[in-house]
Amino acid sequence: MMKTKKHPEFFALPGLGQLALSGARPLIGIFLGLLAGAGLIELSGVNPLAAYAAMLNGAIGSPLAISNVLVSASPLLLTGVGVAIGIKAGLWNIGAEGYMYMGALGAGAVGIVPLPLPPIVHIILALLAGAVVAGLWGLVPAYLRAFKGVNEVVTTIMMNYVAQYFTSWMVHEPQPMAEPGAFFPMSRKLVSSAQLPILMPGSSLHPGFIIGIAACILFYLAIRFTPFGFRTRMLGANPEASRYAGVNVKRQILFVLLIGALMGGVAGAVEVMGLKLRVYQDFVSGAGFEGVAVALLAAGNPLGVIASALFFGVLKAGGAAMSVSTGVGGPMTIVIEALCVIFVIAVGYGERKRLERADKPEKEDEEVIQHVG
Amino acid sequence: MSADQIISWLAATLEWGGPLILVSIGEVFAERSGVIDVGIEGIMLCGALVGVAISFLTGNVLLASIGGMFLGFVLGTAFAYLTVTRKTNQVVTGLMFNLAALGGTNLVFALLSATRSHRVTTFPDLFPASFGSIPIIGPVLFKQPVITWIALILPFIAGWVLYHTDWGLNVRAVGDNPKAAATAGLPVIKLKYQAVILSGIFAALGGVALTLGEVGYFASGGLTAGRGFIVLAAVVVGGWDPLKIALACLVFGAADAAQLRMQTGGSIIPYQFLQMLPYLLTLAALAGLVGRTRPPKTWGAPYDPADV
Repeated sequence: MMKTKKHPEFFALPGLGQLALSGARPLIGIFLGLLAGAGLIELSGVNPLAAYAAMLNGAIGSPLAISNVLVSASPLLLTGVGVAIGIKAGLWNIGAEGYMYMGALGAGAVGIVPLPLPPIVHIILALLAGAVVAGLWGLVPAYLRAFKGVNEVVTTIMMNYVAQYFTSWMVHEPQPMAEPGAFFPMSRKLVSSAQLPILMPGSSLHPGFIIGIAACILFYLAIRFTPFGFRTRMLGANPEASRYAGVNVKRQILFVLLIGALMGGVAGAVEVMGLKLRVYQDFVSGAGFEGVAVALLAAGNPLGVIASALFFGVLKAGGAAMSVSTGVGGPMTIVIEALCVIFVIAVGYGERKRLERADKPEKEDEEVIQHVG
Repeated sequence: MSADQIISWLAATLEWGGPLILVSIGEVFAERSGVIDVGIEGIMLCGALVGVAISFLTGNVLLASIGGMFLGFVLGTAFAYLTVTRKTNQVVTGLMFNLAALGGTNLVFALLSATRSHRVTTFPDLFPASFGSIPIIGPVLFKQPVITWIALILPFIAGWVLYHTDWGLNVRAVGDNPKAAATAGLPVIKLKYQAVILSGIFAALGGVALTLGEVGYFASGGLTAGRGFIVLAAVVVGGWDPLKIALACLVFGAADAAQLRMQTGGSIIPYQFLQMLPYLLTLAALAGLVGRTRPPKTWGAPYDPADV
């Protein structure tokens, strides 16, 4: 009896218990997701423990394995943080898939041209081109949401497909970017001065994850300590109140959605400049949507994005190793990813917000209230 | 284009448009109740696989349809539980459904490798073969499988249910003003559940129609290829009206059929531009460039009885 009563009482404590619970919720969700995944692995006739051991070994068992995790996490860090800023402002920026395509096209267009430049300049130019092209692309849903009130979720989803098919057209033959006579639609190869350096010989480890982690930290600080971040959180907490407090809500919405587009563009650029070295037709294939999942798992916290992107990186890189050594199909990784997110949002959303609102306002909300008052 | 090509293109328009219409039938009710079921892409994919599997095992397309719709019922209930009861974000939940379905169907299909080399039983044609020899309308209309005809008739029934029955009125009320609906004594949560479950059932049936309409095969790697999202587009372009949505589905089916022909045949217009068409039209419709569209007032927003 005592044992069963202990936990509810602990969680019922107003301060510590709730803190532990809100921190534990994503972990509980992930655990349930992995548990459900274990059930599926068992069903396909493989020992789940052996499979997860193979996955873990394939993710952190060697320096090469760790480099694979970091490479897989790179685009997720960048798209994830862009989506996370949106979540902080109460906006769902689902366009990462499209931003990645446009960023890749921008970087590819600059990267395939042999310019007489030192690599560092060429690389920066290509990254900027990716960000700018994706930013212009993101201007469309951002403008529609900010000034016309059009639901950003649906427009960004629709634009993902437009970007995908536009990219397909750009890398098909009569277009100047396309590789002539290629067996699969792809662009020409990036010239060596536009390729990101490889950090570890024998691996494909490029500096994308450093850019990604730096962006996460930068945006964490911006959200926490700058007026821009304050306005963003205020917009997410209460759009009406921020309007009364004199925030230019339209401009804020525009900026927040544009940040998502820029980060998505950099993600696409980095993926092409560091890993693929060409723009392939359909090459994003869901990585943008995974970025949304990463941001959600982190509940919109840019620092949490680092953790959740690395977790996804472990699943992806480890999953590949798992499928080689145990024969569990590669798609199992995707299923486990999706299950984890579904369990996390099922366990952790909705109710938690209400609890915090009812008991004591979140710290961030308090600030907002003080400023408004 | 020769006359033969035009006839085969029109026939393919119905063939590709039919599954889209079936999926849209359920989706329009879900969206009218305020829930955007983005998971229809994944549910459609599951329906497509289950349809092929049951048809392979039993040779009975009716059983395959029922089996598919039952799975759609289960997945629709799960989606409703997450988005209505747990109030998770509808779009993210839907995207995760799609991700899970993509991986899950690939896994299951690997176990069903026997269906790869075997064309399973497909839906029979509604009319006797002799009708097919009637010039023009014969091959376009009368060589269509029975499921296409069902898809062509259902929008009329759906329109009647939505506008002329109490249940349809209640669903619309729940989507436009759930608080007023609740005050008037309507079971808001229950109605949302019903509408979302309906979207699951019809999404799965659309998937069954996709594989058992003509093809008789499943293929791994996302056989539905974004058709669920085309339906989401059609619902917006069709202004949340079943008949207009069906028309939009047929237009998008025509574009789909045309782009497939262009990919192999070559043309002046790049085929990718036709692939973009549904999405571009949706953007234009939402931006207010073509006509006036008015989404259900709580489109995509969770309902919380405790909110004031």
